[in-house]
Amino acid sequence: MENIIIEMKNVHKSFGKHQVHKGINIKVPQGGITVILGPSGTGKSVLLKEMMGLLMPEKGEVIVDGVDITKISKVELVNIRKKFGMLFQNAALFDSMTVYDNVAFPLREHTKLKEKQIREIVLEKLRLVGLKDVENKMPSELSGGMRKRVGLARAIVLEPKIILYDEPTTGLDPIMRDVVDDLIYNTQKQLNITSVVISHDIDSAFKIADYMAMIYDGVTVLNDTKENFKNSDNPYVRQFINGSKDGPIKMF
Amino acid sequence: MNRVLSLIGAPILNLALESGRIFLLLIDSILWIFRPPFRWKLLIKQMEFIGANSISVIILTGTFTGMVFAFQSYIGFHKFGAEYMVGTVVGLGMARELGPVLSAIMVAARAGSAITAEIGTMKVTEQIDALHSLAVDPVQYLVTPRILAGLLVMPLLNSIAVFCGVVGGYFVGVKILDINRTLYLQYMYQYVDLSDLYNGMIKSVVFGLILTLIGCYKGMAVSGGAEGVGRSTTESVVLSCILILVFDYILTAFMF
Ligand SMILES: Nc1ncnc2c1ncn2[C@@H]1O[C@H](COP(=O)(O)OP(=O)(O)O)[C@@H](O)[C@H]1O
Ligand SMILES: [Mg+2]
Repeated sequence: MENIIIEMKNVHKSFGKHQVHKGINIKVPQGGITVILGPSGTGKSVLLKEMMGLLMPEKGEVIVDGVDITKISKVELVNIRKKFGMLFQNAALFDSMTVYDNVAFPLREHTKLKEKQIREIVLEKLRLVGLKDVENKMPSELSGGMRKRVGLARAIVLEPKIILYDEPTTGLDPIMRDVVDDLIYNTQKQLNITSVVISHDIDSAFKIADYMAMIYDGVTVLNDTKENFKNSDNPYVRQFINGSKDGPIKMF
Repeated sequence: MNRVLSLIGAPILNLALESGRIFLLLIDSILWIFRPPFRWKLLIKQMEFIGANSISVIILTGTFTGMVFAFQSYIGFHKFGAEYMVGTVVGLGMARELGPVLSAIMVAARAGSAITAEIGTMKVTEQIDALHSLAVDPVQYLVTPRILAGLLVMPLLNSIAVFCGVVGGYFVGVKILDINRTLYLQYMYQYVDLSDLYNGMIKSVVFGLILTLIGCYKGMAVSGGAEGVGRSTTESVVLSCILILVFDYILTAFMF
């Protein structure tokens, strides 16, 4: 198999008594899009946060670029994080800053660019996510879908090596969904970076994915290429692909 | 027996844990003062928020405290005909005790609570995580500017409170209670030293540290949505005020 850039080995995580991960194993190959599927509340967002060390598992390894990030110092972790960009599920925009300042924030923190260049880049990224004339608005003045796209612009503005997207298309209208899918796809292909996308949407997953993984009840059900995933006869995977309430996945 | 032990043990363990965490946050934020990048803009913004926006509250607090204090001490001194000592007592009391403590408690209620609410909201809406994800240390970005602003601004607010208190005391003593103006001022000049002012200033630096540190700590420790933010905000003000009073005693005893 290809170069693995992120690998999670036997990851366990609980909040109080609630066990969220009971042995997650996922490999993210470099230079492709890995889509992670799973019902709500199975700990997909937690998984993404563990990948960049925002949450630490109690047990198991998270290996990024050959380094187990559960065992390194805070300073080293900060340096590892510079490889990442992340779109949070609820966008997590800084609500005391304008849209423009939100997107400019990573550039101001980590580059020495002049304000004029920053302005060009910010407006370009906002245009890429389909936003115009919003740069002076505050995040609270935007709709949920618009906030998400600002978050997307902020995540990709430094063109990091690895981009993590937490449900990038949830809450968008069908047209915007297609725009964002295309954006994720093209960003990955043009820059040859690694993308990890969490999704509910099986159609868009098949459209953009190179690799897929499904988690359910705290463990990895399947992690394979898109083709193998599509043709898998695993009953969990089949139920999720068919979108049926009957099967081994119990929602109640 | 076990239950009795755990009933005693749990709060003590909690207290130790919490003090440890607060101390670690203090060390961390102080280390960031000396490491770049220096966040001048954020510091100025916080000085404005904690300091400039508190001035009207501090003026009111200082003036009224001085005025009340003049009335109350007049009652005592009147009994042995030493009314002219009112100015001295108001000056000493404001400079050494009432100025620093009351201004700190007012600022804890005003700015300390707002700090907790703001950072706590950032915590529950994942903005703190977002800072982490952008490889920016939240302690360096959020906590250090606030603590530094608290340290710098509290002594200034204290001097305003002391000044207003003394003016308020003079107004009540000389204008309302008709104490001899010359004696009033003469005794005040004679018995209130610069060292009394220093004394109060040292206190207010420490109080400024306490209320911003606790405000930030309680904000970072929020969990559980909007309700959690509310709970932590209350806890922040209560804990700040208690610590201000406790450290007031400790500092007073030391500088006695
Ligand atoms: N910071 C946290 N503290 C406590 N519980 C959490 C925290 N983050 C997530 N959880 C819990 O972990 C579970 C999985 O959450 P999440 O990863 O958001 O699910 P998903 O993204 O798959 O819908 C949920 O039950 C949630 O309540
Ligand atoms: Mg989620």
